[in-house]
Amino acid sequence: MGTGRAGSRRAAILAPALLALVISGCSAAPSTPAPSSSPSVSVSPLAPPPAPPPAPVIDVPTVDASLANQRPAAAAPTRIRIPSLNIDMTVEPAGLDAVGSMALAANPDIASWYRFGPAPGAEGATVIAAHVDSLRYGLGPFARLADAPAGTEIMVSSDDGVEHRYALESVQSTGKPEVPWAAVFDRTGSPRLTLVTCGGEFNYTTRQYQSNIVVTAIPVA
Amino acid sequence: MRKLLSTGIAAGALIALVGVTPVTAAEGDAKLSVFHGVPGLTVDVYVNGALTLDNFEPGALAGPLELAPGTYSVAITAADAADASSPAIGPVDLALASGMNYTAVAHLAAAGAPTATLFTNDTSTLAAGEGRLTVRHVAAAPAVDVLAGGTPVITNLVNPAESLLTLPTATISASVAATGTTTPVIGPADVNVAEGVNTIVYAWGSLADNNLALGLQTITGLHSTPGSIPAGEAGLAATNQPVAPAALWLGGSSLVLLLGVVIAATLRARRTATSKGN
Repeated sequence: MGTGRAGSRRAAILAPALLALVISGCSAAPSTPAPSSSPSVSVSPLAPPPAPPPAPVIDVPTVDASLANQRPAAAAPTRIRIPSLNIDMTVEPAGLDAVGSMALAANPDIASWYRFGPAPGAEGATVIAAHVDSLRYGLGPFARLADAPAGTEIMVSSDDGVEHRYALESVQSTGKPEVPWAAVFDRTGSPRLTLVTCGGEFNYTTRQYQSNIVVTAIPVA
Repeated sequence: MRKLLSTGIAAGALIALVGVTPVTAAEGDAKLSVFHGVPGLTVDVYVNGALTLDNFEPGALAGPLELAPGTYSVAITAADAADASSPAIGPVDLALASGMNYTAVAHLAAAGAPTATLFTNDTSTLAAGEGRLTVRHVAAAPAVDVLAGGTPVITNLVNPAESLLTLPTATISASVAATGTTTPVIGPADVNVAEGVNTIVYAWGSLADNNLALGLQTITGLHSTPGSIPAGEAGLAATNQPVAPAALWLGGSSLVLLLGVVIAATLRARRTATSKGN
């Protein structure tokens, strides 16, 4: 009921606006020559002049729905460099593990890009993560992110040959239960780069870090 | 989920110019897209008597329009008709509910007559890593099977029914065949079932006129996010380390190295002993 009333109210407000649209649309439309031989027109001198074809009241986006118009796969990132931190790593596409966590390359020297999310340059957050360390491989380059200052230059190369340049905006250490994953993996908003690793205190019983380090970087020209 | 529109119903057809505008999109609006699946017929689409889609071509997808919940009268006329008074299809009344997502499809019935069907699009959230594939039979053709990589995944789909699948993200080689057969009448063609997206495929056109085709609509933003990023296991970067981590690590790897040397030496000794035996 409430929505019905709201609809009527809106309709009442809209009607004049739409009418104005229609009128301006009609006057702007090119007049097409009318068939002059129409007998009903010639018989009655009082007949109004034939109206031009109507113009649409609004502009609705229309696309060709053929399969040829499918969006091509985005260019995947292949390399990340942060010269001031002596970081130069291969980036591989990654999905999910068996329990729905992001599945990272086992080697902390290899960074993983969340392949279901935005590619570099696309709208939203491009998420690249790496293990901070490993029992097998030792300490990884992303361990150096925790102390990186704002403005740190970050370069991400994609497999289309484009190099995307970013400036570090913030480094946040958040306790694992509180990490806002929906925001970390946000696919909307302006293009940005989000780097994730582990950090903070380590629980030597469960062998897990208690926090995630989340770095946000914004594109620079 | 599907509502076949009775094209005979013209109740209260031409009401007034109401609400056909995305400018006033508001919370609770319904979304309405329009797919044109009648071959060889360019049309105009009138909503509540107002021209909304001009020169709408076959195979095209328009929208979504964001409309306040309510019932809308849609009439489809030949292109450049003076008004909606003599529609080729309809007028039909579309009841749109708050927050729902619809596609109105102008298409051929199985026997070939032009008609219209309102489909409700499934916008429920998908698990991370998954995509949804919706297939809609809106072609002048008998029942069909849909094959992925040559294997039937949807069987006995009839006009104007739909079938939905939830799949791990993949590009599938899709084809359409008469039900019970595998010889394609459409395709094979690659369809990208993207993550977090409802990929809607329309099989449209006419088998008799040899112009069957696939049309595509995608509804994005249905994704979930990973629940965590476990990114460490050794405590080497911990802020609460009991001993200097470098020393621990070096000690550990030295031990491994030493063990390796011992094993290698033992193996070599054994090999030497064996070859001597020969």
